[in-house]
Amino acid sequence: MLQDARLYQISFLSLFLLLGFATRDWTLHPVVVATALLTCCLSQWLGLYLVGQLPAQLPSSPEAKGQGLWPGWAAFFSPVITALGLAILLRVDGAWMMAIASVAAIASKFLFRWRDKHLWNPSNFGIIAALLLPGNAWVSPGQWGESVWYVLMFLACGGLVVRKVGRLDTTVAFLVSYGVLEALRNLYLGWTWDVWGHRLGSGSLVMFSFFMITDPRTIPDSWRARVLWAFSIAVVTFGLRNFYFLNTAVFWALFCISPVTVLLDALWQGDRFVWRRSPELLEEG
Amino acid sequence: MKWLRYVVAMAIAVVLSLVIAPKAWAFCGFYVAKADSKLYNQASQVVIARSGDRTVLTMANDYQGEVKDFAMVVPVPTVITEKDVRVTDLKIMERLDAFSAPRLVEYFDPDPCAQPRFAEFDRLNGAPVPSAAPAPLASRQKKDLGVTIESKFSVGEYDILILSAKESNGLETWLQQNGYKTPKGAAPLLKPYIRQKMKFFVAKVNLDKFDSSGFSNLRPLQISYASPRFMLPIRLGMVNAKEAQDLIVYILSPKGRAEVTNYRTVQVPSNTEVPEFVKSEFGDFYKSMFNTSYDKEDRRVAFLEHAWDMAGCDPCSAEPLSLEEQKQAGVFWLPQENEQIRGEYPRVFLTRLHVRYTRDRFPEDLMFQSTNNQESFQGRYVMNHPFMGEAKCDRGRQYKRELPARLEKEAQNLAKLTGWNIQDLRKKLPKVDLSGLTWLDRFRMGLFAR
Repeated sequence: MLQDARLYQISFLSLFLLLGFATRDWTLHPVVVATALLTCCLSQWLGLYLVGQLPAQLPSSPEAKGQGLWPGWAAFFSPVITALGLAILLRVDGAWMMAIASVAAIASKFLFRWRDKHLWNPSNFGIIAALLLPGNAWVSPGQWGESVWYVLMFLACGGLVVRKVGRLDTTVAFLVSYGVLEALRNLYLGWTWDVWGHRLGSGSLVMFSFFMITDPRTIPDSWRARVLWAFSIAVVTFGLRNFYFLNTAVFWALFCISPVTVLLDALWQGDRFVWRRSPELLEEG
Repeated sequence: MKWLRYVVAMAIAVVLSLVIAPKAWAFCGFYVAKADSKLYNQASQVVIARSGDRTVLTMANDYQGEVKDFAMVVPVPTVITEKDVRVTDLKIMERLDAFSAPRLVEYFDPDPCAQPRFAEFDRLNGAPVPSAAPAPLASRQKKDLGVTIESKFSVGEYDILILSAKESNGLETWLQQNGYKTPKGAAPLLKPYIRQKMKFFVAKVNLDKFDSSGFSNLRPLQISYASPRFMLPIRLGMVNAKEAQDLIVYILSPKGRAEVTNYRTVQVPSNTEVPEFVKSEFGDFYKSMFNTSYDKEDRRVAFLEHAWDMAGCDPCSAEPLSLEEQKQAGVFWLPQENEQIRGEYPRVFLTRLHVRYTRDRFPEDLMFQSTNNQESFQGRYVMNHPFMGEAKCDRGRQYKRELPARLEKEAQNLAKLTGWNIQDLRKKLPKVDLSGLTWLDRFRMGLFAR
């Protein structure tokens, strides 16, 4: 029904955000969410303007009328996804911190690119930037709990998006390798298996593996490379979490491994992903 | 009809996510009885003061058995030496508890016909306050069992050993040979800690010193160490607990609120208006309310009961802790007396978490993190004493007209929070004297009061 997988992503992320508001008491304020959305979209606009890729027609122009949805909107799918991702994951002590994270996230897309691909997933870059700045941002890994219903919901929604994007291999490779590593650790330490189940059943982990590491604009093109790439992220996450006791291990792992995509793409050729295949539309991801 | 499939999938996702709604006190180590007395610890309190990698952990238990039988085994991340251990005053726990306990606030409705005038009292009533006590000892290094005594010393009334072990059966045997009766099923639980290269802090009471100390209760033990691990081992504590155990964790941080990272942290219901009779049964009220919330959250979350900068409170249920008391509680980043402070005075932020855990819902030890969230929170319940005097003016009659509906609302709030029967609660509501009201007032009440 919707041609662009990003529209699914936007609707699902909005759903998660609303659910988070309604059923999990996050310390999240509407002002912060609005700041994220506004700053991301404005930064995108400015970025497009600076690189000279602003949509030619404005929504109010006579040409645009009668065409249904303004084609230029597609350029703002990406910043909306980034903003929703930041709002769901990043916790801040003031809206200004969210604004900084948003600007950093969008700026990273325009500044760090390689052959029309981004070196980092924008939300991931924004989160890391906020965590690196002296102390006003944090991530709450326990925010979804381990409710089986939430995990099922993430699996259902995430599965749908990832299948449309065709990057299910990455999610599966990540979850399986991380699961196996945790299982080996569990076996070595001699914990009962419910400890393993509890570690893997975290809503935040499942959400990450469906909605963040599958960003087609930052991951390798060939499926072999993607599997290797996801496996590396799992290994780094595992190490940072269990040996350095880092609560934000997944984000750091993705941040460290993301740029390796360049190398992997050089080794394995694959089909370059575009959000839509119609030439007259923008393909900014 | 492909779109229909997506709509259905989306609808299922929404429904799934909405179904989720359905649904005491203990310790990080286990007690080791030297006699056969059944020791079930149901409640414990822990203070964790942490800044950077440095942790000061104070442990108090509601140990009920004979002092001579008391022994405690707690996994710790590093070797702890004599200078890292001290006993502290149980009063500090009581002070922290009093300062942060969920509170009932009481207001008196003024005579609606008189000049505005109000009084306000805060009334503290704690969630059940557990008392304190930890500690075992033994000697002889048994190399063949793979157990090494890393250090051995006495602090206050406690004899303390820091053990490292190579394998769990060896450690269990060693403890048994040295007179510590480990609970059945302890060995498999010791293994993960041994493999993570953690040490064991073993404490027991030195009876001579205890007798001469003049204390009637065991005092809390305070240990400090540097480690990136910010956790509390609760698995061992579940070996000798039959039922759900309650743990109150006070986390002191120079940054802001602390939270649990591997379970959800949920705020207890707060700022609800309840009927005035709750005043006399606030303890029961809080217990029932906590039970209801605990069940509602499927018994798998940590509850936030209080989060506030130690410098203040509003309303205060007890005086904030003095600097000296904060230092006793383990806060180590405050300046020494006469020390010049450059810049801002260091902050001490208190988070009170209440975890009720059982083996099936809490398979993993608790992991924490400090955040920069400085938003204040407290478990606070509001009681408004209605004005029961005569209605001498129009406003007074209006007040009387509206009062029954308000009382009913408060009763419903209470029933919702506690799961108590609404009919029983209605019987306890005060009778509103409607004698001063005209037939028109009564008619309007009938029309609008519902």
